[in-house]
Amino acid sequence: MMGGRTLNLATGLLVKTLDFSSFAAQSWFAAVRPPFRLRDIVRQIHFIAVEGLWIIVLCVCAAAMVTILEASFHMRLLIQNDAMVPGFAAMLILRELGAVVMALLVTSRAGAGMAAEVASMKITEQIDALRMLGLEPIRFLVAPRLIAGIIAGATMSLIANCVCLIAAMGVSILKLGSTAGLFMSMSRPFVTGQDLCFAMIKGAAFGAVIPLFACYWGLRSRAGAEGVGLATTNAVVSTSIAIIIIDFILSYLFSYFY
Amino acid sequence: MIADIGRCFLFCLEAMDVLRRKGVSRREVFHQIWRVTIQSLPTTAMAGFFVGAIMTVQFTMQVEMYGALGYLGGLSTSATVRQVGPLLIAFMLSGKVGAYTAAELGTMRVTEQIDAIRCLGANPFQELILPRMIAIIVSSFALLAAGLLMSIAGGVTLGIFFSGINPDEYLRHIPTIVGWPSIATGLFKCIAFAIVLAAICTYKGYTATGGARGVGRAVVQTAVATMVSLVVADWCTSLIADAIVEVSLSVFKSGAAL
Repeated sequence: MMGGRTLNLATGLLVKTLDFSSFAAQSWFAAVRPPFRLRDIVRQIHFIAVEGLWIIVLCVCAAAMVTILEASFHMRLLIQNDAMVPGFAAMLILRELGAVVMALLVTSRAGAGMAAEVASMKITEQIDALRMLGLEPIRFLVAPRLIAGIIAGATMSLIANCVCLIAAMGVSILKLGSTAGLFMSMSRPFVTGQDLCFAMIKGAAFGAVIPLFACYWGLRSRAGAEGVGLATTNAVVSTSIAIIIIDFILSYLFSYFY
Repeated sequence: MIADIGRCFLFCLEAMDVLRRKGVSRREVFHQIWRVTIQSLPTTAMAGFFVGAIMTVQFTMQVEMYGALGYLGGLSTSATVRQVGPLLIAFMLSGKVGAYTAAELGTMRVTEQIDAIRCLGANPFQELILPRMIAIIVSSFALLAAGLLMSIAGGVTLGIFFSGINPDEYLRHIPTIVGWPSIATGLFKCIAFAIVLAAICTYKGYTATGGARGVGRAVVQTAVATMVSLVVADWCTSLIADAIVEVSLSVFKSGAAL
């Protein structure tokens, strides 16, 4: 009995993985083939990046500042010296915190919104209506969101990282008794322009994952209010896990370049 | 925006009033607790692991220079439990729980199921809102605490593989640096974040308007409002917790170093 259940679960997972892979492949194929739906792409970039930018930047900055204050508090407690905190803070922000926390927040804002919207379209039979009009949902809905996600992810990662560095500098000046020049000279040996490039690549990768999962779960949602909720959660869960896994892989790959 | 804050407070007051006058079905509350906890456990565990891992990497780079790697376990655990852990895990949990609840209640609202409940003579607060609110408060608190435990596991794992120290050595210094004030601060933050999350996502879902797009909009607004409120709540709870710890330390004149 127990074995049969486990087998069912494993088969279900395998089927879902294959289903998602074929969905992702179709979406990429639809995304790289012209004609591009420029108006939709711009509208989605506006939805993903522009509308939520400052909220997300604010939250990433809050996370970074809390981390810096804690690091300095504990370094002072232990070895009475927090001179190295700025350098490592800059490194932490550029290599991990900026891109990943940004992506996780975009997931809970834009990813969840996208999944809820697509799932509601599905259960109110708007997707079927699109199909009947001869518009393929993957071409019409998913491809513009995918392209928009990549562009928005890279751009937002760049902006979030830059603002976050400035916020880190501000908190070191106000709370840690550092100066702007000291902060920059302490962090310069640890970070280079390359790090910013890598952060943008990470942002683009995360930005591609978010719409794929959101649209996948949205298009596969079951009928009813619970179906929409379930699609939204599934989208957020699988995107967050995928983001963390991709982050580990990319960090490992980039570590060969440092 | 200020009107929204006020309406959210009135909404909570009404919920409390209904709770006082009519009570709530215990069965439904347990059902919701089970659902929220089971569905969010993977994300929270993953998030906790990630936060612990990041803090360990961050502290390894700093204390390695001073040859104080032995203190790594205590330092990163203390920093994670006190401040960084609750905030980052709450960000991810809010995306998950908030999106799900807002999408479910929003779909019920726009498909007029809430009006149907009212037509049947039942109170939607008693049937839908209160069980979810109580369940989210209880299970978010449990999940955040579980995430903090997972962060220790993440820290140990990265301590072994990244900084190459013995797990025994890592764990030995946790009790010497992490005192009861750190843990109490962390748990206090968890409770505050759970209440904020429960109030905002039920309110936004309940007041959704306007079809499939409206549900998507409600989900997005929930994410935005929770993120900002979490940052504000983090700041307030830091101040309050620090004050309480100061006072109680000066009253008792004993206890741990922190």
